[in-house]
Amino acid sequence: MMYHQMPIPSRSEHLWRYTPWSRIHPSTTDAVPDADEVVFSAVGGKTVIPRTPSMQPQGDIARAFLQAAGGSSSELSLHNESEPIHINARASGHVAVGHLHLDVKGSAVVFLHISGEPEWVGVHVTGTLHPNAHLAFGFINELDSNTKFLRCENWDIARDASLEHATLSVGGFRCKSDIRTSLNGTGSSVRQSITINADGSRHDDEHVEIHHHHGHTQSDLVMNSACGGNSHFIGTGLLTIAEGANKSDASQVFRNLLLSKKARAEAIPELEVLADDVSAAHGAASAPIDTEQLHYLMSRGLSPDEAESVIVNGFLYDAFSNITNKHLLEEMRTRLTVHLECELKR
Amino acid sequence: MADEILRIENLHVSVEGTPIINGLSLTINRGEIHAIMGRNGAGKSTLANVVMGHPAYEVTSGSIFFKGQPLEELEVFERARAGMFLSFQYPAAIPGVQVGTFLKKSVASVRENPPKGRAFRKELNAAMEQLSMDKSFLSRYVNDGFSGGEKKRLEILQMLLLQPHLALLDETDSGLDIDALRIVAQGINEVAENSACLIITHYQRLLDLVKPDYVHAMIDGVIVRTGGPELALELEDKGYDWLEVSA
Repeated sequence: MMYHQMPIPSRSEHLWRYTPWSRIHPSTTDAVPDADEVVFSAVGGKTVIPRTPSMQPQGDIARAFLQAAGGSSSELSLHNESEPIHINARASGHVAVGHLHLDVKGSAVVFLHISGEPEWVGVHVTGTLHPNAHLAFGFINELDSNTKFLRCENWDIARDASLEHATLSVGGFRCKSDIRTSLNGTGSSVRQSITINADGSRHDDEHVEIHHHHGHTQSDLVMNSACGGNSHFIGTGLLTIAEGANKSDASQVFRNLLLSKKARAEAIPELEVLADDVSAAHGAASAPIDTEQLHYLMSRGLSPDEAESVIVNGFLYDAFSNITNKHLLEEMRTRLTVHLECELKR
Repeated sequence: MADEILRIENLHVSVEGTPIINGLSLTINRGEIHAIMGRNGAGKSTLANVVMGHPAYEVTSGSIFFKGQPLEELEVFERARAGMFLSFQYPAAIPGVQVGTFLKKSVASVRENPPKGRAFRKELNAAMEQLSMDKSFLSRYVNDGFSGGEKKRLEILQMLLLQPHLALLDETDSGLDIDALRIVAQGINEVAENSACLIITHYQRLLDLVKPDYVHAMIDGVIVRTGGPELALELEDKGYDWLEVSA
């Protein structure tokens, strides 16, 4: 269905409960702006090439809207890349939209850094991991603090392929992400980490869907958010294990650290398990800083502010602990460190 | 003349309105090792925590002096910076914070002239070697997923690096096998040479390796008997009932 044919989703839908479509749309929901292009450029030898935009009908309103708004459309083919590839996604103008497709054979490490100051940015990333491909993908959202941001991702993972996916979300004032991964072949896996640092009145809504269509597949999701000021974080997960996808192994953990009385966090993992012989675990916790941790650090000479900062930083780093690719781990930690140091100087 | 490090005068402490320590007095001088023994719930850990300034414990009356200065106005971190150290019975885990980073911050916060760069690494390596700790410890997260013995070793490593004037050791011997106990005891003995040391324990076995100058038996928040190392043997042999009768 095309965007104009779609009904506005109801807030009773899990996906739109906390950030309704009208709040993330750039203007009024019936309008489709003529978007400027998000420019994707790879640093180093690789070239991001333009591609014909997909005109396939979309199944949900956010993707249909990004398709209707136009913007840029690019793709990058990867095949046993020896060095990590950094892609800068630069957004400018009033409303900017970009589509990027990654086609992965063999192994690759890719970082997508998105920055810019438009009022509204939309990005749709799609990825195809062919059999036995391995992709480590880092997404770093460093958009201006006044930008509204819609991000959709779709990953198709074939037999024996693996995706390690890390997100650092520190930019934008209202963000909605919808990341969907389909494990389409036996032996495929996804390992996903999301770190969110929210302050002021920042609103960040991260929705992650992982679909186990085949047996002997694995997924692991860790989402850590630290919320200060009046910020609001929402983490929703939908994990499905199809009928017959036995020996699937899935886990989802959501942790929220509340740093002020006005900060809010929701963590809602959902499971739909139709197979019998699986391992599926999920957990969610929202709490202020543990006073015993504070006391321990203060008993080692750290002032209350230093101790709090050490705990928060550690909590954010900890989301990346399930990442095994060393390039991905190092880069995400480095970007987080830079962000936290800049925050300290502000 | 004795160099007084800790003086506790007629201390009364409550937790959420329940009295735990009921008139305890104790003085520890530099170079002395004191051991406190008592049943579970006698108030031993409360004593260590209240001296260190844990906010959950309320001093209802009495006083604590550290190097002659009253402690009540000092925050926990100020006590640490003044030279007090508590080896926790159950140290908190801090996920995401690497041991190496934590130790560096802690030493920089507490020591007057903290070693930097290569000097710090040299001192750290020597202390870790002394405690038979592998260097991979440094990249692990503080107490996160540590075994009981690993936690206690990390506490002693911190004590060696922070060089406190007063070391409070709350059941540091629990969770340690015989070899680890010997290594940890060596660390305690080294620190105890130049500081005051208060060991809280249930067992004689640590006191075989760290010789106390004084042993105190504690019942219901009060020291009911003080003696030399022989008192620890007597307590291990006879338990605490006989002290209640004689008290």
